[in-house]
Amino acid sequence: MDTLKVLVVDDEPGMRRGVARALDSYRFALPDLNGEVAFGVETAETGEEAIGMIAQAPPDILLLDHKLPEMSGLDVLEHVSSLPGAGASMLTIMITAYASLETAVSAIKRGAYDFLAKPFTPEELKSTVRKAAQSLILARQARKLAQEKRQVRFQFISVLAHELKAPLTAIEGYLHIVRDRAAGDDQATYDHMLERSLIRAEYMRKMIADLLDLTRIESGTKRRELCAVDLCETARWAIDITAVEAGKRRIRIELHAGAPVVMEADRGEMEIIFNNLVSNAVKYNRDGGRVDVTVRAEGDGAVITVADTGIGMTEEEADRLFAEFVRIRNEKTRNILGSGLGLSIVKKLALLYGGDVTVTSAPGVGSKFTVELARAPQGEPTQPQEPRLRRLEAARPDAPGGKEQ
Amino acid sequence: MVDDDVDLVEMCRAVLEHRGHEVASAYSAAEARRALEAGLPDIVILDVMMESETAGFELAREIHRNHPNLPAIMLSGIHAATGVPYRFEPDEDWLPIATFFDKPVPPARLADEIEAILGS
Repeated sequence: MDTLKVLVVDDEPGMRRGVARALDSYRFALPDLNGEVAFGVETAETGEEAIGMIAQAPPDILLLDHKLPEMSGLDVLEHVSSLPGAGASMLTIMITAYASLETAVSAIKRGAYDFLAKPFTPEELKSTVRKAAQSLILARQARKLAQEKRQVRFQFISVLAHELKAPLTAIEGYLHIVRDRAAGDDQATYDHMLERSLIRAEYMRKMIADLLDLTRIESGTKRRELCAVDLCETARWAIDITAVEAGKRRIRIELHAGAPVVMEADRGEMEIIFNNLVSNAVKYNRDGGRVDVTVRAEGDGAVITVADTGIGMTEEEADRLFAEFVRIRNEKTRNILGSGLGLSIVKKLALLYGGDVTVTSAPGVGSKFTVELARAPQGEPTQPQEPRLRRLEAARPDAPGGKEQ
Repeated sequence: MVDDDVDLVEMCRAVLEHRGHEVASAYSAAEARRALEAGLPDIVILDVMMESETAGFELAREIHRNHPNLPAIMLSGIHAATGVPYRFEPDEDWLPIATFFDKPVPPARLADEIEAILGS
């Protein structure tokens, strides 16, 4: 149970007692929250006393009388509104004897959340306090969520920056040596350095392309053009564009498929899946190895497998394979470059198509990736929304159109 | 030279060989241990984050324990990569190395440092 602290500031003892009595036993359940919200009431007689109490331990909700001796309610409001982070941590409800629009407007303008006109019934009090409590709790949840999201985003950007810096550092290092002729007179040494620089630049470009793919898929802004796609044809396309690299290392790629396997899909997305799996199967293969690709229909979807005879991996390595920027680093993969994003893209796409990607592998024997696609993504991709944030907007009395909802 | 970055090893090797040194390479702390058993170099250049985040630190202490007279230079991107709020500096007990360089280090600067340490 969440207990919110309410501070009642009123110079009339009867009013302070009445509010405390009404709220002390009041509880309500919040639909999104597992549990109830209750209230603990503290009281202050004057504005000065209230400010002292707020400085010590700020309440969640401040019930503030407009007409106080000496320092007025509006002065107190002005003071608490100027406190750092005041808005999200404390909500003020102004109590006013004159149910005039002017008082209410000036209170809201100075940061009050709502107002309550004297005289009010215990029910009116509870209803107003409840609205404020809901708004406060939802705002806190939204803030927590936003913070978590920022944290994930920050981590992603840190890793990304590191991954982009690595090839740049290598390229710069080589170029300095070439410019300063710091490695002697043998042209072959410099040719090799320029070649390595080009390779690192190429992979940097590939990483940026993968990153754009990933961002488009995740944000839902990529326009998906669904049509009947023959996955066998896409598999052949992916095999064709990998053929040169495979040929250099005498790796045989075979497609095992009978009739066309046609499913409703976005052609570009199917190409991304096949291209990543087939090029990985070649990249992590041994010279003279083989790659077997199978495609078969299942229901409205399809199952794709890509098996290689490569270096394979341990169970522990396979477990973390589909996360972003995970590249298995060991003596065997030292000379293999990659963006670390390919498989996480394949995973995201497989999930979008109602399926998944799995891997079985044995070190030194090879790996087999299985992609299941159930059906084309339903409807147009939409921007993920924050339902709680929208509801919070609707709950605020000053939000445009808020009252109608 | 112990570093899992193939290109860094390559460029340092080219410059150091041009300046008349012989360079043997290892791409992990484990490989370095095997290489050191086979024979000792005059100086070890080592990275920190290899098979584990602290593989280079452990290796440096081990080298110092087993071969107190074998100097080591550490090259690392650990400050930039982890954002630790303090600097790793050579320390007799904790980090027994001659010099700590933040990556990237121009290979010529590394060569100067090696020659300064070995010449003294």
